[in-house]
Amino acid sequence: MPFVDEILKHRSLSIVGLEKNTGKTVCLNYILRRLNEKQVAVGVTSIGVDGEQVDSVFTTAKPEVTLYEGSRFITSEQHYLKRQTVSVLEHVDSRRTALGPLVTARVLVRGKVLLSGAATTGVLRSHISQLLDAGCRLAIVDGALSRLSLASPTVTDCMVLATGAAVSANLKQLVAKTRFVHSLISLDEVSPTLRAALSPVGSGLWGVDKEGEPHDLGIASVFLIGNSGADLLRFGHTLFASGAVSDRLLKTLTPLGKDITLVARDFTKLFITPEAYNEFTRKGNRLLVLQRSRLVAVTLNPTSPQGFLLDSRAACDALSEALQTPVYDVMKI
Amino acid sequence: MKIKELIKQDAGFQYVVDSLELMSAAGRRALLETTFSGDAEWLEAEWRRLGTAIEAVHEYKYKKPYIELRHCLMQLHDLRGTLSSLACRTPLNEVELFELKNLAQLRRTAAEAIAGLGMATMLPLPDTDEAFALLDPDGTGIANFYIYDSYDPRLAPLRRELKALQEHDGDAGRIAQLLAEQSEIQAAVCLRLTDALHAHHDALGKTLEQMAYADILFAKAELAIAWNLTKPTIGSRIEYRALVNPRLKHRNEATHLRYQPVDIALGAGVTLVTGANMAGKTVLLKSIGTAQTMVQCGFFAPAESTETVLFDGVATSIGDDQDEMNGLSSYAAEIIKISDIVRRCRTERLLVLIDEPARTTNPVEGKAIVQALTGIMEQAPSTTLITTHYGNLGGKCRRLRVKGFVEGMADVPLTPRNINLFIDYSLTEDASGEVPHEALRIADILGCDSELIETARKHINN
Repeated sequence: MPFVDEILKHRSLSIVGLEKNTGKTVCLNYILRRLNEKQVAVGVTSIGVDGEQVDSVFTTAKPEVTLYEGSRFITSEQHYLKRQTVSVLEHVDSRRTALGPLVTARVLVRGKVLLSGAATTGVLRSHISQLLDAGCRLAIVDGALSRLSLASPTVTDCMVLATGAAVSANLKQLVAKTRFVHSLISLDEVSPTLRAALSPVGSGLWGVDKEGEPHDLGIASVFLIGNSGADLLRFGHTLFASGAVSDRLLKTLTPLGKDITLVARDFTKLFITPEAYNEFTRKGNRLLVLQRSRLVAVTLNPTSPQGFLLDSRAACDALSEALQTPVYDVMKI
Repeated sequence: MKIKELIKQDAGFQYVVDSLELMSAAGRRALLETTFSGDAEWLEAEWRRLGTAIEAVHEYKYKKPYIELRHCLMQLHDLRGTLSSLACRTPLNEVELFELKNLAQLRRTAAEAIAGLGMATMLPLPDTDEAFALLDPDGTGIANFYIYDSYDPRLAPLRRELKALQEHDGDAGRIAQLLAEQSEIQAAVCLRLTDALHAHHDALGKTLEQMAYADILFAKAELAIAWNLTKPTIGSRIEYRALVNPRLKHRNEATHLRYQPVDIALGAGVTLVTGANMAGKTVLLKSIGTAQTMVQCGFFAPAESTETVLFDGVATSIGDDQDEMNGLSSYAAEIIKISDIVRRCRTERLLVLIDEPARTTNPVEGKAIVQALTGIMEQAPSTTLITTHYGNLGGKCRRLRVKGFVEGMADVPLTPRNINLFIDYSLTEDASGEVPHEALRIADILGCDSELIETARKHINN
């Protein structure tokens, strides 16, 4: 399986699912197994404290993560005490979660653990550095329910996207939904010069002039854009949204003309629907990002919690074709 | 009263507390639990320790022992929950045992750092090496923790078998059985360790307390250095040279406004302060209140020099801080507060600070209330400072006047925005019993409607 070698070109990895039950944990277990065979020391954590042994939405069994000797993990005290392994505590965080403080431990004997982690990307970033500083070659973040923020290139270097029958049991819809998210992940980056100019800019909407200089358009949040009435293109046709990009912003910009280049920080800042995005680009406008996430693989879980089962081969083929990237069935890898 | 209550009553003191750079949650918690003290011996000792800490910071600020101590304090967790479990022998889990081992190790480093600062006698840390040894059966000296094989002879063979099975994807049933056995043995070890550690509960608790105290002491020392706070002396009266209100001073500095420290001396009995509007009377009361609270909570004082007297408490009625009285008219809120102060003064020795009492009611009854208040407070053992605009109150009490508006004090044209450059905030003794009549003049400078001012002048002349 090639994508494990691809992962090893990076220091941190996030595994995000398009929906719950898209096989993130199965995928993580596969990656951990392969990395163990390659004798790579990894560090693993999660985001948030939603890890229960039983999925509380669908009451399906939530698979635990199998960790190997020498790897490290960060989880909450409550989950740590339930681990089925032998491990040494190395650190206890002063911040507390609903499940007690977050602890860091090193695995002595292979076994299963439940993962939980920091609730914010800021703390998550510090945990990733902590794991890397402790000697891990790679830090892996297991995603939580509908949390994409951890896949931001400012948090983890690369990502695996998990999709599956839980997204839609209708293959066409599954392909369309996955393709849309994939297209946002794959948006082109701006030039390094423009990135350098825009990265430090504060919140709000900015107009970028011909010299690549950003000018504040005086709109603190794109959610307030409808009321402004100001000429958004007064500095040029390139705009930079420092925070979230919403449908409302796209719908405001679409009628203003074509050749608008809208720049977002990264794909995790895009809260847009395919309809608004397609309308925006159909008029000749472009959406770019300051930094693109490195997508190393797309995985598919052909079963859904309601019991649907997709034809794995057909689904992988259809997705590979639509995304122009290999797609792996998590149940078979 | 504890600091956690005092900060709710005095925004200036809250600013002081918030400005402390504490390293640990344990330090912050201990600080908030500190009480306003009338114990001269304790305060003198605390100021002495603070003085020593300031010297140590001056000498070692960027040097090893001090940096190491701060680093230790940063890693200090508030283990009160764990310690109270230990006190009643509730079995501790592995994470809690790790935390205690970590505390015992931090203590070692902190004790060395404190000795390096030459403060070992002042900040003694109890010996917790035995507790550490209990949690470090293999003598690794590292603060990592798990239920080591050496705690129970059954663990090593069990784990060897578990490891072999796991590595060769062996019988899942046997693995589950071994894991269950392991957790049973681990629970028994935790119980045994809790029992053994119980004997060290006092030493561990005292260590946490002392390290939290060290955090507070050095944060106070850093603040004293940054704000030029000075050591008070306890004497027969309150006397400040160049008293400042830190919150206001810093706000003024941030907005490039002038700030003028004041000198004031207060004996027992009542002192009346008069002065024009905008002359800083309210600020004076707040400054004195905050300074007194700082001093009696073991801080140094925000003045160039301070002689102080110790009180049972500071009681204030300063108009603009009565959120808790919402729903009452300003007069009702004020009079309830003043009456409470009068009652308290019958049994307690207080520093009483009252800003313009009875100003929101008719001047005839208002003046009578102030005269009554002054008379009663004059008999109480408290020290009272009352600001007022009422003149000719009679009585024997001492009077001070804020010098106030001085034309030509600054070399720039007078505008409503720079009026503060033309006010001399210093105090002068005033035997006249008169009050300044500058309200209309100041209204004029502030650009008030001329018809309003002129008509008012006519009424006065009539």
